[in-house]
Amino acid sequence: MVIYRDEYRLYNFGPDHPFSPVRLEMLTSLLQALGVWQPPHSPPEASREEVLTVHSERLVKRVEAASRGERVPDLEHYGLGTGDTPVFPGMDRAARVLVGGTLEGARRILSGEKRVLQLGGGLHHAQYDRASGFCVYNDLSVAIRHLTRSGLRVAYLDIDVHHGDGVQWIHYEEKEVLTLSLHESGRYLFPGTGHVHEVGRGEGVGRKLNLPLEPFTEDESYLEVFEALVPWALRAFRPDVLVVQAGADAHYLDPLADLLLTTRAYERLFRLILEYAEAFAGGRVLLTLGGGYSLDGAVRVWTLLYHVFHGLPLPERLPEGWLLVWQERLGRPLTPTLHDPEAPYPGIPRRPEIEKRNRLTLERLTELVSPYLLD
Amino acid sequence: MLVKDVMRSPVVTVGPEATLEEAYRLLLERGIRHLPVVAEGKLLGIITDRDIRLATSHLNPKGPCPTCAKVEEVMTQEVVTAHPLDPVEEAARVMRERKIGSLPVLEDGDLVGIVTGIDLLDALLRLTGVTEPSGRLEVRLPDRVGELARLTGYLAGRGVNIHSLLSYPEDGDFVRAVVRVNTLETHLLAEGLRREGFDVLWPPKKPW
Ligand SMILES: [Zn+2]
Repeated sequence: MVIYRDEYRLYNFGPDHPFSPVRLEMLTSLLQALGVWQPPHSPPEASREEVLTVHSERLVKRVEAASRGERVPDLEHYGLGTGDTPVFPGMDRAARVLVGGTLEGARRILSGEKRVLQLGGGLHHAQYDRASGFCVYNDLSVAIRHLTRSGLRVAYLDIDVHHGDGVQWIHYEEKEVLTLSLHESGRYLFPGTGHVHEVGRGEGVGRKLNLPLEPFTEDESYLEVFEALVPWALRAFRPDVLVVQAGADAHYLDPLADLLLTTRAYERLFRLILEYAEAFAGGRVLLTLGGGYSLDGAVRVWTLLYHVFHGLPLPERLPEGWLLVWQERLGRPLTPTLHDPEAPYPGIPRRPEIEKRNRLTLERLTELVSPYLLD
Repeated sequence: MLVKDVMRSPVVTVGPEATLEEAYRLLLERGIRHLPVVAEGKLLGIITDRDIRLATSHLNPKGPCPTCAKVEEVMTQEVVTAHPLDPVEEAARVMRERKIGSLPVLEDGDLVGIVTGIDLLDALLRLTGVTEPSGRLEVRLPDRVGELARLTGYLAGRGVNIHSLLSYPEDGDFVRAVVRVNTLETHLLAEGLRREGFDVLWPPKKPW
């Protein structure tokens, strides 16, 4: 089942902001042009109370006030009104619409649906008391909490290039939530967290896993550590459901980060995720979008996701008409095929060193968490 | 950042007449490694877990007996101390030069706190701003008037909040500036800075 509504595009920080609703417009129009678009299920927006299951009242109050255009003196303290997360009229509702989609996905899973693809959301930086990094409310955590309150064990997998810090901190002490984030190392990249030694606290110890990867990590190395870590952790944790943040900003064209995944790696990742859901979570999986700031890259990655999700054959070329319209509108050429060209960027001289360091990081992580995870 | 901002207080202390065993138990219970020795409000010395272990090791058969020897027999006298208003870098420098792991903090002769290596590491973490969600920029600047202002001015103009800014001298008349900025867009900032002629070391320029 696919969840989507046009109001997702109300979540709009302005024309020059990277988290652009144009991505959704391009994606849905491409799926239509390819003839694979089926009318999605339209979710209700989340209520204030539902948002309050993971956020503080004082944060919500400020979002509401800023949303009405009121002046709020301590807005920046709550991560709002910054360059990354500016305020805009109607922001509270726009954010609740996205939360509503992911939450609806959780409800559908609880009522027996196996696979849900939410074509939006994935706002993994929003924290209990603070908006952060383009994320106002944390739709993922609201959905995860809904699932755990219904007695389910949730494994959260985050393949966005940035650390899934908001989700991690919100569930940091919870035993029934496993978080697994693969991301570019926070040594330099926002939000600066996601070290292997962040493994959870209290009852949550050993249930928060972070695999920080070297800048310029390529397909092969990423897949190597992914295939070693994820099934291992899922087998040990035995989740009832898998919640996946499928950010597309680890793509090599992304302007905000330095991982070098191609569409070929993404195709493999999406196939593996569905396989793992079958093998370790009774087939139950809820996928959301996330970061992805190259229009060219992100839209093709999520088109792939849509096809793999539905088990559709992959088109080779993108429809000419669609390409013409969007190249005209964006004023630049777009990749004409669904997959990236072969060898799309020059060779990385540090490749062997990068692969070695990623393996070492994986080793350190598994050493750190295995005493806890396997209990 | 001053010593008073990072020191621990109140301080766990021990009297000079306490036995080594009593002192060691205190260290274990409190999870600490440094015990100032105090009598009538005056600092007489300091004793560490290492002092006690070395003195009472079975490899040291002539060492004092743990249950009867007193702290004052083993403690270090003429303790190096700090003042609450000393800058933290001054405390770090003294500890590094004298190769010691802590500084009791005295004010008008009274023991008001203690600073250890761990407290200085905490201070370093706060100074680098890593406790806030942020990205990291590293820029090499010519060591002359106005360069840092040009850098921060550029960031301010782009509406970017700076969580922390560290700078340190480099060889060849340069200063290295490490800036933690509250934005996901460090790459776009780096590109903009390069266009303005800044030597941005991180994030690196992609070769395509
Ligand atoms: Zn991201």
